[in-house]
Amino acid sequence: MADWQANITNWFVAFQDRFINNFIVDERWRYLWDGLGVTLKVTFFALFLGIIIGSVIAIIRASHDKTIKEMPKSFSRILLIFFNKICKIYLTIVRGTPVVVQLLIMVFVIMSSSDPVFAAIITFGINSGAYVAEIVRSGIMSIEPGQFEAGRSLGFNYIQTMRYIILPQALKNVLPALANEFIVLLKETSVAGYAAIQDLTKGGNIILGRTFDAFFPLITVAIIYLLLVMLFTWLVGKLERRLRSSER
Amino acid sequence: MNDNVIIDVKNIKKHYNNGIIKALDGIDAQVHNGEVVVVIGPSGSGKSTFLRCLNLLEMPTDGTITFEGHDITDPKANINIHRQKMGMVFQHFNLFPHMTVIKNMTLAPIKLLGISPKEAEKRAMELLTRVNLADRANAYPSQLSGGQKQRIAIVRALCMNPDVMLFDEPTSALDPEMVGEVLDVMKQLATEGMTMVVVTHEMGFAREVGDRVIFMADGKIVEESNPESIFTNPSEERTKNFLAKVL
Repeated sequence: MADWQANITNWFVAFQDRFINNFIVDERWRYLWDGLGVTLKVTFFALFLGIIIGSVIAIIRASHDKTIKEMPKSFSRILLIFFNKICKIYLTIVRGTPVVVQLLIMVFVIMSSSDPVFAAIITFGINSGAYVAEIVRSGIMSIEPGQFEAGRSLGFNYIQTMRYIILPQALKNVLPALANEFIVLLKETSVAGYAAIQDLTKGGNIILGRTFDAFFPLITVAIIYLLLVMLFTWLVGKLERRLRSSER
Repeated sequence: MNDNVIIDVKNIKKHYNNGIIKALDGIDAQVHNGEVVVVIGPSGSGKSTFLRCLNLLEMPTDGTITFEGHDITDPKANINIHRQKMGMVFQHFNLFPHMTVIKNMTLAPIKLLGISPKEAEKRAMELLTRVNLADRANAYPSQLSGGQKQRIAIVRALCMNPDVMLFDEPTSALDPEMVGEVLDVMKQLATEGMTMVVVTHEMGFAREVGDRVIFMADGKIVEESNPESIFTNPSEERTKNFLAKVL
């Protein structure tokens, strides 16, 4: 047998050994599998929470910016100004501090007595909400005022006009930006390990700690994130095409 | 007050920047049941602002508007209820682009009047047939021409069974060859006895269909009379000037 053939054979044998050592021995693949479950759970619920928080804040902020000039002095005007201030403070704090710090504070200080995964969902939800809020607000502001007037002229009140006429159009317009935010969120959850949460990244890290082999677990983790993002991008692309085609 | 009066406008003003800009400067007007009132005037005269004040899309700074016996400028009045009875047609149509024609038309009746979707659709189809657009019921607004869009906008407002129709320069954004089809629908509506307030630059329409013409300039009503006398024998110099330019 020639030298190079022996080299390749050796390499394959070593590769196989490392694969078995990293994933099969002691059922180590479970760290990745369970971690993936946690990552998806945190991302999904945080996304849900973020969209709700973001939409509410976007509506308050956009309503404030659009109507405050025309509004007569009244209790509801004061209320709107008050809520707008609160929203602004929220946006400033959440966007002005790192998510890791927010997570650590939430897990170890504010919600230290509850399940860390739950605390992580809340943290990432609140964090994502701030970014979603600005995305949705830009969507609302981009709808021409005539749409709003048409809704009001038919007799819809402010909330109904938002719900039936403005938001469906605004959300469709910002779908690409929202998808982007979701991708960022998915990858951002990889810092959950800082707060002793066993997500996908932490799972890879644990294997690394057991086997002292950095290549296999880390590359596998990266590939799983990549596949998730690709799958999601494809799904959003499909949804977007469907929404657009209905208009042409 | 005459029972026949459906909209009674008393001394409304619309000021911007603390009164530096006076878009409307004391307007008194009445609209009677079944009447077609046409508002004409140079651009910037406040005619659109006046029309938009009638359903409070613009809140007047001062004065009162009484609609069907209710003071709608009263802060306690529920304007949403009154707006259901005032259809409005815009210069730029403002159809909802994310909905089909039939959805555009049935949304408000279903959500606001509690009519069943089936019944609302039936009524919408009747109206679409009247404007010869029944075949476009499932089209999206982007698939329609300007004239078609405006006809849809008119029947969308009619779906709420309004007592008054407000038209804000309904033909100004249309290609010339499409103006006729929209004016025809409006004429038909007028002959059926709909109360209408129309802001327009179509002097032919004003003359033919209007029961009364209001000429506005600089936020005030300059002259108001029947079309025949305002077009053939205007009494004010300002009106003469304007008509000389547009006729």
